[in-house]
Amino acid sequence: MQTINSILAIFYKECKIAFRIFYDVLTIILFFLLGIFIFVFSVGPNKEIFSQIGVGIIWALLLLSTNLSIKRFYQDDYNDGNIFLLHMSGLSFELIVLIKLIALWFFFQLPFIIVIPIACLILGIGTEDIYLILITFFLGSPVLTSLASISGSMNLLNNKNFAVGSVIIMVLSIPLIIFSTGIINAPPELIKPQLGILGGILLFFLALTPWVSAGCIKIALKYN
Amino acid sequence: MIKIFINPGEFSRFADIIFKPLLIVSILALFFGLIFALYLSPDDYQQGSTVRIMYVHVPSAWLAILTFFIMTIYSIVALAFKIPFGFIVNSAVAPIGATFTFICLFTGSLWGKPMWGTWWVWDARLTSVAVLFIIYLIIIFFRRSFSNIDVGEKITAIFIIVSSINLPIIKFSVDWWNTLHQPASISKFSSPSIDSSFMMPLITMTISFTCVGLLIAIIRIKGEILDRKDKI
Repeated sequence: MQTINSILAIFYKECKIAFRIFYDVLTIILFFLLGIFIFVFSVGPNKEIFSQIGVGIIWALLLLSTNLSIKRFYQDDYNDGNIFLLHMSGLSFELIVLIKLIALWFFFQLPFIIVIPIACLILGIGTEDIYLILITFFLGSPVLTSLASISGSMNLLNNKNFAVGSVIIMVLSIPLIIFSTGIINAPPELIKPQLGILGGILLFFLALTPWVSAGCIKIALKYN
Repeated sequence: MIKIFINPGEFSRFADIIFKPLLIVSILALFFGLIFALYLSPDDYQQGSTVRIMYVHVPSAWLAILTFFIMTIYSIVALAFKIPFGFIVNSAVAPIGATFTFICLFTGSLWGKPMWGTWWVWDARLTSVAVLFIIYLIIIFFRRSFSNIDVGEKITAIFIIVSSINLPIIKFSVDWWNTLHQPASISKFSSPSIDSSFMMPLITMTISFTCVGLLIAIIRIKGEILDRKDKI
């Protein structure tokens, strides 16, 4: 009972902080939309090109906007000492990482579901493809969140090189990007296997992230 | 016996013993390998003289993957059993692996231009090796971006373990996808599909590349050990 209470308390804390910084979330979404505008301006307003490369643009911008939310994961908690309280609460860090994953996916990835159909319409992607893109978004965005968690926990004590966190996310996200964008141009009989592979990637990262992040946080706590 | 691989003092003693024999073997193998590869081995009936690029390309690719494999094993051992020698090996060996990966990519693109008609294609094998090169660079940079070097080493070891998922992708990429790059010709479980006149120089060059890589690794690891003794 006490464990459930503390889990709920952590979840409530995350929600409260996320509501307090809701303008941050809105700014990230604005970044996503502006990025699509920039892509359109730089390539030229040709609808035929965008119906082909639009999915790639959307996923690349999702990846870039994930980069903006790395610091929200553990750095703020680490700076104001919250993470020591979590350490003393008796819960295992793996569980805390999992709770944080769910909460931050809810606040930093789920809002994109409103703007992705708008982006698809702007880029001239067909209606039946929007449906597929949303399915791949649901399967792929938790992977992006867990990559942000891995990168954020690795860079807790990194005070010299700020770009390396984004680079880590980009390198580890390559399989996700390949399979989630390839699904649109794939022949119909290959859609289900590709979705299966995406689900596999999701499960792999969900299994991997708590251990990796918890290990990194423990190292950071030890050397503080 | 196992202490040679986990204890810096034992390793230095063992390295001093095998350094000279290794040097002689690598010089001999490089000498004969280059003579075989550049003069004595025949031209391929299709590829002509460009087949000789293979004698540099394949050994460096093999060493690039072997280096990452060694780094992965040392990271796991170092984190699990708290053996700092693993971190020494990681930081000493990463630039060697990056160099061999670069040689592999460079010779591969030189070989690809006359044979495939392009310097670079985005197929699975080439892309995964390029990702391996990027991962090597991240490993080299990442360790230095922490002001506390102990943390940097541990976090880098975790990153090495996570990114070692790339190794099976490189190995099986030619089987899983239809790629321009050919599948493996030399396999342990079946008879090799290349002629013995090409096989001989290839094996000699592989031995010499491995020995040269080991020599550089020994020199770098010993330097790293001395460096850390100096800091303490």
